[in-house]
Amino acid sequence: MLHEFSYVSPSSMDELLTFLEESGERSTVFSGGTDLFVTIRSGLSRPDFVVDLKGVKELGLLTFDPAEGLSIGACVTVNQLIEDTDVLRHYSVLRDAGSELATFQLRNRATVVGNVVTASPCGDMSSPLLCLGARVKLASAGGEREMPLGEFITGVKRTQIAPNEIVRAITVPIDHLDAVGGYKKLKRIKGHDLGVVAVAMITANDVSRFAISSAAPTPVLLPDFPANVEVAEVQKAAQEAISPISDVRCTKEYRSFMVDVFIRRLMEAA
Amino acid sequence: MREITLTINGESYTREVHEHRTLLHFLRDDLGLTGTKEGCGAGECGACTIIMNGAAVNSCLVLAAEANGSVLETIEGAAKDGTLSALQSAFHEHHAVQCGFCTPGMVMSATDLLRRNPNPSRDEIIDGIEGNFCRCTGYEQIIEAILAASKEGKSHA
Repeated sequence: MLHEFSYVSPSSMDELLTFLEESGERSTVFSGGTDLFVTIRSGLSRPDFVVDLKGVKELGLLTFDPAEGLSIGACVTVNQLIEDTDVLRHYSVLRDAGSELATFQLRNRATVVGNVVTASPCGDMSSPLLCLGARVKLASAGGEREMPLGEFITGVKRTQIAPNEIVRAITVPIDHLDAVGGYKKLKRIKGHDLGVVAVAMITANDVSRFAISSAAPTPVLLPDFPANVEVAEVQKAAQEAISPISDVRCTKEYRSFMVDVFIRRLMEAA
Repeated sequence: MREITLTINGESYTREVHEHRTLLHFLRDDLGLTGTKEGCGAGECGACTIIMNGAAVNSCLVLAAEANGSVLETIEGAAKDGTLSALQSAFHEHHAVQCGFCTPGMVMSATDLLRRNPNPSRDEIIDGIEGNFCRCTGYEQIIEAILAASKEGKSHA
């Protein structure tokens, strides 16, 4: 059972942003609800107003332009992303990571933007998006602002978003178009599971980039490397950048160990 | 409260619902469609899987209010005039049901899978039902049933 709240479904951006301006912290926005309704059910979240973004049509857009790159609207589901032919062709690491996220049913509802805004250290979408240089577009009644994804996520389940703001879209530039690479995720079982630790890698234009999930309070993007970098050099930089903990799913030693294994496997496969 | 109208298994329903009511509880408690089960209530186990506007979803994580105007398919619509669907018959013949709690969600996931991929490989079936837990069968009989139903080519009618 969920606690009593009001369901609000604005049909335009103006209506949405005005409502958030007036209701402030009493509101929580959602699209797929795959995270929100779990936290409400467990009592971790008690909003008075649950605001559905899906009525605002522009938030459902997934677009690709060869000059501008990819724009992922707030309501674009993970399955929409990973089935998109432009994503497959130009940003295959997003497909690799997205298809590791939860289950088919969940991916029909869970959104890419929601996965990022939740800012769980083990989220699957932030690492590949960090590698690709993604930017976050925020909107409120007061106007719009934009920032790199790396600055947006500030801690465990913490971001720069204000109570009156939404993430309108996440954009991915063309800087790393058609990059090769992949996403390796350690799970406790072969089926769906939260990531125990994961590494995303891309290589394009003689530059290799790596980002690591579940090994620090936020996803960690390593500095750029030349594409011919040695495996040991990347592993050394990764170990210096991460700060894994031991928890119910894994020890910190095993997390560190698997980061090195995944870096090696990704580089060998590239 | 708000009024919603939706189509379930071809029949139209209009009801007043609490705005915090999940679609799962609406189906079970308000409409008495108790075929759809509540397992974890958190999107992990798939017991509550239904097909909403052509897509398999966990109904425990959908609000009834959101489903206004939707077209839903639940396990109650699988058999027609007392005759099991090909997929249900295959579950029967291959002993894919033990306690039966996961079966409605499993059948709805498999129905959706076979619509998207009428002739799935064994591995594609395993991937296709990864969102549905079964704690009895060990999955083997379920996989065999879906394979058999797909070969008959009429399971997704």
